[in-house]
Amino acid sequence: MTQRLYIDVHVVQTVPPANLNRDDQGNPKEAIYGGVRRSRVSSQAWKRATRQHFDDQAPEADRATRTKRLTGELTTRITQNTALEREDAGRIAAALLAQLGLSQGKKASDTAYLLFYGNAQLDAVAALVTNEATDLAALDDKALADAVKEWPVAETFTTGHPVGVALFGRMVADIPKLNVDAAVQVAHALSTHETQLEFDYFTAVDDKNEKEETGAGMIGTIGFNSATLYRYATVGLAQLTDNLGGNTEAALDALDRFVDSFTLSVPTGYRNSFAHRTRPSLVAVVVRTDQPVNLVSAFEEPVPAAAGIQANSARRLAEEHLTATQVWGDTPLYAAASHTFSTRETRTKDTVETLTQAFGESVAFADLRATLRTRITTALGEQA
Amino acid sequence: MTPSGRTSVLLLRLAGPLQSWGDRSTFNRRETRPEPTKSGVVGLLAAAAGRSRHAAVDDLAGLALGIRIDQPGSLLRDYHTVSDHRGRPLLSAAVSAKGLQKPTSPAKHTHITQRFYLQDAVFLAAVEGPEELITTLEHAVRHPAFPLALGRRSCVPAQPLLLGQRTGPLHDVLRAEPWQASSTVRKRWGRQNGNAARIDLPATLDDPAGDDVRDDVPLSFAPTRRTYTTRRTSHTYLSAPTGLTPDPTRPPTSGGHDPFALLGW
Repeated sequence: MTQRLYIDVHVVQTVPPANLNRDDQGNPKEAIYGGVRRSRVSSQAWKRATRQHFDDQAPEADRATRTKRLTGELTTRITQNTALEREDAGRIAAALLAQLGLSQGKKASDTAYLLFYGNAQLDAVAALVTNEATDLAALDDKALADAVKEWPVAETFTTGHPVGVALFGRMVADIPKLNVDAAVQVAHALSTHETQLEFDYFTAVDDKNEKEETGAGMIGTIGFNSATLYRYATVGLAQLTDNLGGNTEAALDALDRFVDSFTLSVPTGYRNSFAHRTRPSLVAVVVRTDQPVNLVSAFEEPVPAAAGIQANSARRLAEEHLTATQVWGDTPLYAAASHTFSTRETRTKDTVETLTQAFGESVAFADLRATLRTRITTALGEQA
Repeated sequence: MTPSGRTSVLLLRLAGPLQSWGDRSTFNRRETRPEPTKSGVVGLLAAAAGRSRHAAVDDLAGLALGIRIDQPGSLLRDYHTVSDHRGRPLLSAAVSAKGLQKPTSPAKHTHITQRFYLQDAVFLAAVEGPEELITTLEHAVRHPAFPLALGRRSCVPAQPLLLGQRTGPLHDVLRAEPWQASSTVRKRWGRQNGNAARIDLPATLDDPAGDDVRDDVPLSFAPTRRTYTTRRTSHTYLSAPTGLTPDPTRPPTSGGHDPFALLGW
């Protein structure tokens, strides 16, 4: 790939009173920006929500598994593919995996690690032996080890990564060759306005003890705040394609699913207490051939509460995008947005106008994803 | 030195809600220096240039670095939990007969780590070196191979990151560049200081004759051979233009060196 493409995803999302991501005091995380206190959700918390969202949607073969029972999993696959007994299949599986040099766990056939791999990768390793399984089973342990020594087992685990690994990276401290550099960068989500930490003082009443003791069964507090968050992530398409073994189609699939999951996922902290699941009011994607652009500076001056925070945050974001494009003269390859603001309300009219100027007319989220894919495919075609 | 022998200075504005410039933290307490480290800036340039972790960085580490603190920010402690990827339980305080720590029983799996960030800070980093190399780096920062970060991957830089190239000695370039603090901070400072035309900002510069030693010059970023060496630096205050229009009726309350100006006192 001669040119590097970055896909920036900007999200403005309002969360009602909630405590998505808490610190050691149990209160929502915060940060100071532009001199005032903001609500913060760490990048790690939202990445986990994103990863779970797309693993839930993915077909089994595309999912990633994190387990110590690698040998057992491989044995099962070999027995399914061939007519071998489980014992023979187990010997072959152990011989194949010996190549990785993973330390053994306490229990026989367990690795010391929870290895994070793609189901498709293990399927590929199992497929290696299908044709020669009977011959291999006839060999003694030493001959078997020699026979499979040159087989591309480690290669299989270092290529064809599942989407989760390709996007978010993997680190195996003992075996650096199994490491994968992450293709996405996610910023901490920050509120676009000043927030104050609030406490919900609650009492719980004992249902069976109404007459004797009129007081509470227990009391406590939960810290919470409500915020309009600015969320930002960028995907390096070149790195993602590399991680997926140069497969552009797979990279585009991964990107598409990342945009979907990053947009629609919400961390689950205190979910049952606050039912904070919301959808974003604005999602903008910007494809760039130069550097990724984080527009958080739009909110360095906090959005005042009186102004209508959601619409003003969206308008500021669009203005910052326009200014950045004009000042630095770096027109993005493609920009589009889905938002929920309407021109019918006078309060949001100028927001819609600015958004249209910056990102074009609002499109449905499904169309946004489809068009994004088409535009990148075209851009890659022109480069080739 | 390059054929032309000329040097040039690349100016980067390091600003964003969060930054983190660790120099020796490992394990569960990840600290940050109060200003960007040389390894952090070299790492950012190497990432922009598309160098892998195993690639040589001695040319980048050889560049002279000057950091001006335009807005010091404050420290943020982030509470963070992680699990061991090997699925091992944490170690307890008790030791076995061999003197090794025993695993916790019942097994506990969640590590608690403290990550420190600088919040709401703005720095001006100036990197001086041969003109050709600096021009290559300027292009690289504009078209980075890997996403750039302010010391830690989740610390995405706010725009503008790149202020361009300047010529002249590092010291003079840092002195000439306008104050980069946020408009709120500049306005508030202006109200208290009669909109004075210049402000004294603290700076740290590479200086072979300097009296401070920092152990943050990267020799290699390879995960298995991550090593650093030392450099000598000197601290100084530089008078920089504030970009404010002085009020003739209110002469500046302080002249010359005012170390408390930064604190807004």
